[in-house]
Amino acid sequence: MKTMQIKSQKGSQSTVGAAVAPVAAVAASAVAALGAAGPAFAASGGEENIFSGNLGNAVWTLVVFGTVLFVLGKYAWGPLLDVLQKREQFIHDSLAEAKEDRDQAESRLAEYTSRLQEARGEASKIVEEGRRDAEVVKARIDEEAREEARKVLDRAKREIEVAKQTAIKELYTSSATLATEMASRILRKELSAAEREKLVARSLDELDQFDTN
Amino acid sequence: MSGTNPLEHVVQHPIKEIPLDAGLLTPEGVVTLMSDHIAMTILAGLVLCLLLPLALRRSRKSGEGVDRLVTTGFAGAIEAICEYLRKEVAEPTLGEHTDRFIKYVWSLFFFVLTINLLGMLPIGVITPLAFGVHIGGTATGNIWVTGTLAVMTLLMMVINGLRLGKVEYLKHFCPGPWWMAPILVPVEIAGLLAKAFALAVRLFANMLAGHLILAVLLGFILSAGSVSTGAGLGVAIPAVLGSVGISLLELFVAFLQAFIFTFLTTLFIGMSVVFHHDDHEEATAH
Repeated sequence: MKTMQIKSQKGSQSTVGAAVAPVAAVAASAVAALGAAGPAFAASGGEENIFSGNLGNAVWTLVVFGTVLFVLGKYAWGPLLDVLQKREQFIHDSLAEAKEDRDQAESRLAEYTSRLQEARGEASKIVEEGRRDAEVVKARIDEEAREEARKVLDRAKREIEVAKQTAIKELYTSSATLATEMASRILRKELSAAEREKLVARSLDELDQFDTN
Repeated sequence: MSGTNPLEHVVQHPIKEIPLDAGLLTPEGVVTLMSDHIAMTILAGLVLCLLLPLALRRSRKSGEGVDRLVTTGFAGAIEAICEYLRKEVAEPTLGEHTDRFIKYVWSLFFFVLTINLLGMLPIGVITPLAFGVHIGGTATGNIWVTGTLAVMTLLMMVINGLRLGKVEYLKHFCPGPWWMAPILVPVEIAGLLAKAFALAVRLFANMLAGHLILAVLLGFILSAGSVSTGAGLGVAIPAVLGSVGISLLELFVAFLQAFIFTFLTTLFIGMSVVFHHDDHEEATAH
């Protein structure tokens, strides 16, 4: 192994790697490599200086960073910034739109609410009116019905009266006829038909007089 | 220290360098053309340049209307991070200038994050065996890399301050009455430099420290192993468990430091380009 060679060149830990158990060998050799690889490339020699470096590092850093700035600026940040700005604008627009919509909805709701209340008031007015009309109609119908009933009653009374008069008249006529017949039979003297008629008429007149009294 | 020096695992390992004297910029008299840290920086760049455009493209290649505004899959995660950085980090400090700087902010965050995360890969163990060169390590654990990023932030502050604020920005350097200028202007300039310096050191130290702890923990195994094999194995168990815990912490720190670097850069740029006429408070974010 190269690491082992390097280490034995250093001559400090040549016994370490050889004696380590196989299981630990991998880990140990990795560690050893980490430890041993360094000095082999400390080409400038001498003490290690944590501030080591020079103009070359600065120029390379500038060149690489400049390239990164240019390439990313063109192919990554440009499109990304574009999307971020567009999304920002989109969110802003969407929120503004949503707010406008909500304001509109609210004003519309208020409008509809007031309109609904108006309609409700109107409806109750209409119902009230209807009820009043119905009352009037009911009263009128009642009145008419009562009137009608009275009329019917009156007519019935009159008809009864007429029937009664007719009946009385008929009764009188037949009783007068009967009476004259009986009387003539009693007198055995037959009255002529004309006399009998005359007698009946006189009796009827008397009845009328009686009736008017 | 017997055996290995833990610093060997965190410092840069040059692969190709040429002698050049540029004063303070070349402290060792050489310029590194290629090293493990540089390779990791390039790797991070490649990963970002390939992965992000692909991820973001695939998520919305189809769909019309509203569908185009909806992101799915991995791109959703990227977008969530970007959206957070834009809305929660950039916008409060940069205000109207947010979209002017946001591409820089996003790039910075993902650049630092990718380097941090790639540094967590233990490929430094394998690459010498596979390629003969050491590739690995955390490039953000190199003060020259973090320093460069911090200088970029500094330049962003000053240049954009002058560009967007003009006289207003210069007035910033003397917040008091005019006769205080000889004291205030140097203090303000020192504060400006301190911000960048703190930015560089914070990221550097954080990334270095975690990896140093890992190296020390694992180094214990070798130190104990040089005494006896049993001692080495005995130490290995707690050391490996501990290094697992530290590695998890490191993953968190990788995200945290990338965020802090980005957040402070955004804050500093914001302080330079956004002017409040009534208050001139300086944020003390060090």
